[in-house]
Amino acid sequence: MATDELRLPGEEVVVELGEVGAAPAPVGQSSARRTASLVGQYALLVALAAIVLLPLFYTLIQALSPPFSYLGQGQPPHPVDVSWKDRTWFTGGAFSVVARTALVAFALAWVQLRAGGGTVRRPRALAAPRRLAAVVLGVVAVAGLTSALFRALFERSPNTSWWWFAAVVGVTATQLVGLVERGRRLWASLVLAALTGVATVAIVTITVGAEVWTRAWDDGDLGAPLVRSLTITVLITVAQVVTSVLAAYAFAFLRFPAKGLVFAFFMGTLLLPLEVTLLGNVQTIRDLGWINSNQALVLPFAATAFGTFLIRQGFRGLPSEIHDATKLDGYGHLDFLWRFAVPLTRPVIASFTVISAIGAWNQYLWPQAVIDDTEFQTAQIRLRSIVGTEIANANEGIAAALIVAVPVAIVLVAFQRQIIRGLTAGAVKG
Amino acid sequence: MSGPVSGLVSRLRRRYSLKETVLAVLFLAPSIAVFVAFFYRPFLNLAYWGTFEARQQGAVQESVGLAQYREQLASDDFREGLWHSVQFVLYTVPAGLILGVLLAVAAHRRLKGIKVFQAIFSSTLASSVAVTSVIFFLLLNPEVGVARVDWLNDPDMAMFAVAIPSIWQNLGLSFVIVLAGLQAVPDEVLEAATLDGYGPVRRLLRVTLPLISPVLMFLVVVLVIFGLQAFAQIDILTEGDPAGATETMVFKINRLNRPDNIGIGAVYSVGLFAVTLVVTALQFVLLERRVHYGD
Repeated sequence: MATDELRLPGEEVVVELGEVGAAPAPVGQSSARRTASLVGQYALLVALAAIVLLPLFYTLIQALSPPFSYLGQGQPPHPVDVSWKDRTWFTGGAFSVVARTALVAFALAWVQLRAGGGTVRRPRALAAPRRLAAVVLGVVAVAGLTSALFRALFERSPNTSWWWFAAVVGVTATQLVGLVERGRRLWASLVLAALTGVATVAIVTITVGAEVWTRAWDDGDLGAPLVRSLTITVLITVAQVVTSVLAAYAFAFLRFPAKGLVFAFFMGTLLLPLEVTLLGNVQTIRDLGWINSNQALVLPFAATAFGTFLIRQGFRGLPSEIHDATKLDGYGHLDFLWRFAVPLTRPVIASFTVISAIGAWNQYLWPQAVIDDTEFQTAQIRLRSIVGTEIANANEGIAAALIVAVPVAIVLVAFQRQIIRGLTAGAVKG
Repeated sequence: MSGPVSGLVSRLRRRYSLKETVLAVLFLAPSIAVFVAFFYRPFLNLAYWGTFEARQQGAVQESVGLAQYREQLASDDFREGLWHSVQFVLYTVPAGLILGVLLAVAAHRRLKGIKVFQAIFSSTLASSVAVTSVIFFLLLNPEVGVARVDWLNDPDMAMFAVAIPSIWQNLGLSFVIVLAGLQAVPDEVLEAATLDGYGPVRRLLRVTLPLISPVLMFLVVVLVIFGLQAFAQIDILTEGDPAGATETMVFKINRLNRPDNIGIGAVYSVGLFAVTLVVTALQFVLLERRVHYGD
């Protein structure tokens, strides 16, 4: 049971190594065959994962490469000749220092928590003094040792790889404090701690140490478009959830004339995607004088038949006894809606919320049709103007694209289950 | 005179409570307002504007009835756009289906750490069309790209080159949908097939895939509709070039986004609607048949 709890990134390598290397001469043919099949399965999975991630990996290398050096040469240089920032962990505004320290602390706490058998909902396991010490010491190690690493990188010091090694060892050692415990084999703890160390130092070095991110942010002027995107994403999502919940409630729990007809009216909008109505909608926005405005970006998406349908299905799944019982207890429809129907269908509503937010963030066709003032550009539209300028600055364009993708990546990691449930709602019943 | 009307009213009164009806109207009104203002009204407007032809650089709009529909829907430009959209669909949909099944079958097993691989396979969900296009803008660049090919400027290869980002970006969605289908297949069925002497390949082709065929059909519907709506990839990667070789339906519609000459754009929009409608209807007919066949 204890080993089942331990499911962390990189663990499959442990198993693979264990099965291949540690196995003494196979006892019987079946065991050897099972080992071979296991190795084959992991090899296939690793190969597929590499293919899926290859474009991202190549892109990251390109983003970190300086603009001109790879233009002149035949191939982009490996290892990359990155421009590093002149900085330590504590350089930059107070806000960014606190933010990046908190992020590292959060990541290490998550590793310790999962290794200790807890989940984000039951963080009790983290309260052990050893695990807390591992998190605190880990943050100190990251802050101190990467500062030295940044200095070495910036000065192109020959000692750079030593500092990198020292940082990895430092973080690994602090993580071992929390990971070594009875009931877990030492090598498992070691591998886990080492993976955490390598990943933490590598990610911190690339995201905090490299210069291209701030350059892309400044040159591409990404701040305002990201705020614009965030604003309209929040507005669209809130509007869609509210209108969909209300409409779904009417369809699921209220009796009114011509319900079937109204429902068909709702579902009919699924046949009118934005691509079809684009020119008509742009004309409407022009007539209203709303070109370059927040309401032009939000209002056309304030209601959706998909959300109504999804949430109606959720409401219909509630046992009818609940509705009857609350009626007998004298609850009106509004009470029933807010106190019972919405809380009980939270998983469905959460799925829809996340999907709706990602869709709003990723919009392209509509914003480029109704926005011609750079002040109102969303992040996705801004990307086009950054890339369109010059291939010589391509690394900044890609860096900007990766920055714009970060919010969705975070949402994807945090709400994976909700997203998958929402995306597959139409595919699999139940 | 008021006999039948009052009869109807009293019948409605008996069946529906006034309070619930008023509440329903209040709950539905926001959605209905949006649907009328931004879905039905613009579409009906477009259908109407399609009957007006622009004269003298759009200074005068002359009503020509259905003549403009007949003329424009038969024009080379419209057919070219349609063909480009179909090409895009042909490049992206089979690839999405096959790769989705491959990834899902590979990741649908009980192994330690399989969750990590599932997370990696679904990771392209985090990318938007614009982000993906920017990434592949560089990968496909003839000077600094990965393959050193100039597909984006080659009229024969440009459409395929534009489809590559979408194939990659759809991996996550296809994987997630097919995996959900696989997870819904009961273990007993597969065990029974194994007992009957089916090997893994035959089990997949003869048992699993037919069982999840409704899910695969759903995926095809989604991918075809995505394909017909492709725009950002083209806007970022080629802007319709070389020589209009990548101008899809939506790209052409967006290009006609000018108030002075909206008639042709309106006809194209209605044309796109008809194509989408036919494709969707066709697929649902097929879907129905497959579901019964699956039973």
